[in-house]
Amino acid sequence: MVPLENFLALSGILFAIGVYGVLARRSAVLVLMGIELMLNAVALNFVAFAAYLDPGQFAGVVIAVFIITVAAAEVGLALAIIIRYFRMQATSNVDEAAALKW
Amino acid sequence: MRDYTLFIPEYWAAAAACLIIAIEIARPSLPRPTLAYLTAIAAVIYGGFSLFYIPNDPESFMGLIQVDDFTTFFRVLGAGTVAITAMLSATHMRHRASVLGEYYGLLLVALIGLTFMAAARELLTAYIALEILSFSFYILVGYARRDVFSAEASLKYILLGGFASAVLLYGVSLVYGVSGTTFYDGIAAGLADQGGDMDLAMIAGLMLIIAGVGFKVSAAPFHMWAPDAYQGAPLPITAFLSTASKAAGFALILRLFSASFVEEGESWRWAVAGVAVLTMIVGNLVAIQQTDLKRLVAYSSIGQVGYMLVVIAAIGYGGPEIGEQASSALLLHMVGYVISTLALFTALTAYYDRTGRDSSIRGIRGMAESQPYLALIVTASLFSFAGLPFFAGFATKLFMFQASAEPELLWVIGVAIVASFISLYYYLMVIREMYLFDPEGGLQRFRVQPIMWAMATLLFVGILFVGIYPGPVFELADAAVEPLFQVGADAGS
Repeated sequence: MVPLENFLALSGILFAIGVYGVLARRSAVLVLMGIELMLNAVALNFVAFAAYLDPGQFAGVVIAVFIITVAAAEVGLALAIIIRYFRMQATSNVDEAAALKW
Repeated sequence: MRDYTLFIPEYWAAAAACLIIAIEIARPSLPRPTLAYLTAIAAVIYGGFSLFYIPNDPESFMGLIQVDDFTTFFRVLGAGTVAITAMLSATHMRHRASVLGEYYGLLLVALIGLTFMAAARELLTAYIALEILSFSFYILVGYARRDVFSAEASLKYILLGGFASAVLLYGVSLVYGVSGTTFYDGIAAGLADQGGDMDLAMIAGLMLIIAGVGFKVSAAPFHMWAPDAYQGAPLPITAFLSTASKAAGFALILRLFSASFVEEGESWRWAVAGVAVLTMIVGNLVAIQQTDLKRLVAYSSIGQVGYMLVVIAAIGYGGPEIGEQASSALLLHMVGYVISTLALFTALTAYYDRTGRDSSIRGIRGMAESQPYLALIVTASLFSFAGLPFFAGFATKLFMFQASAEPELLWVIGVAIVASFISLYYYLMVIREMYLFDPEGGLQRFRVQPIMWAMATLLFVGILFVGIYPGPVFELADAAVEPLFQVGADAGS
């Protein structure tokens, strides 16, 4: 059986890639993809913990399903907001969204 | 137990939200402020329903959601906030959006999220409640039509908010991995089994949770969204954001820390104390150089969060007994803060609606000449934020710092007092603009709408009442925090 540490390392790497994506990418859509990666890392963490720590219990798996659902809702909302901004400003670059500062 | 009758106020709020959207679709010709009044009435009825739960013993829905005095406290506080926000929106939002049904519906949905954040006793439930509140805010902040500021504020808020949620969830997953459960009591029991020593993974998870919730209440290293969201949002939503999101965030923090982590204070209290100090300093220093009033209020509210975080640190340093006193003082301060903020925004909304000025500080120049009563209320609420005697902020801050005066925390409280003095400086700058200059553009004296006048007066009386005679509110706050530490102590023993 694959040891738990492997899953945790994978999810840690995924999370770190997601954080990098949020910090380094300048397009709002790609920032959103970074956030999705982070959420997927979390879901993986939950499933791995559920399978290894309390087999037969489904709490962790249920939480993972909830996270996927909420993440889908969040993407829908965020894309709508990005499109709205794009229609006004003809850009989705977060660096150019600087009408509000300090 | 599956007791579905515990959530009758929430059923009502959800039904009223749908009803308000349906009314707008069915009757497009309805005068626009009507929806606002309906929302306010619905919120008041929600508050009325929740009063029926006072005599009951704490009851929980399968251990997930607990309905006790603490929940009732936040139900009533949230209902009042939503009612006043809806009333402020009546004239302000009339020309700023073409469809308003969803706007008012989402206010009520946010109220449900706020309540469940205060009532949740399980991390997933708390997270879902937090997202209900946050999603409502993402939309409400960006609601103003053809307003670039509003769209940009909403964009920044949702991207940073999503990031913070992911960080929070990663923390939750680590806590779940170590303790094997997401129930608050279960976490405490799991920690007790390990002999009081906290696992490194547990500490990491806890820090990530503090970061995630700290984002939601806009504590200092995670506060960057707040000024943008506050400035871009429509004025009533700024009021709602600065009251509801903070009340809900602190409700969640109090529930979680009092139940799960109160016994293991050594491992996290230094982090909260550090965040508190940083939040006070950053909020109050950056506020000095602001030229936009909404942004200034945003930074000043960040400073207020710093004062409130001192209480959370005191729970870590003092244990359950000190924690209980400090928490009830925190709730008292929260009431004073909410009333002062709402009074400030009621006066500002009445003023800006009438004059059509933008929200820069110069916009209120000479307000004492054109509308002296509103200027008085702005002054009173700013003095209350600064903590001058006879206004709400003085008594509540005094109680809060007194209750959390642990020896290790004295320097934090010292910083808080210095920060309060700094805050007085930029509040006085605003007051100076109102009183010492003539109105720009030859603005004449004008009358305020009677309904705004009545609300402003009510809140003004509230500021003075809490400031001069805080006894009754303090007793309510005492009763509200009683169930918190009781349950935590039971699970820990």
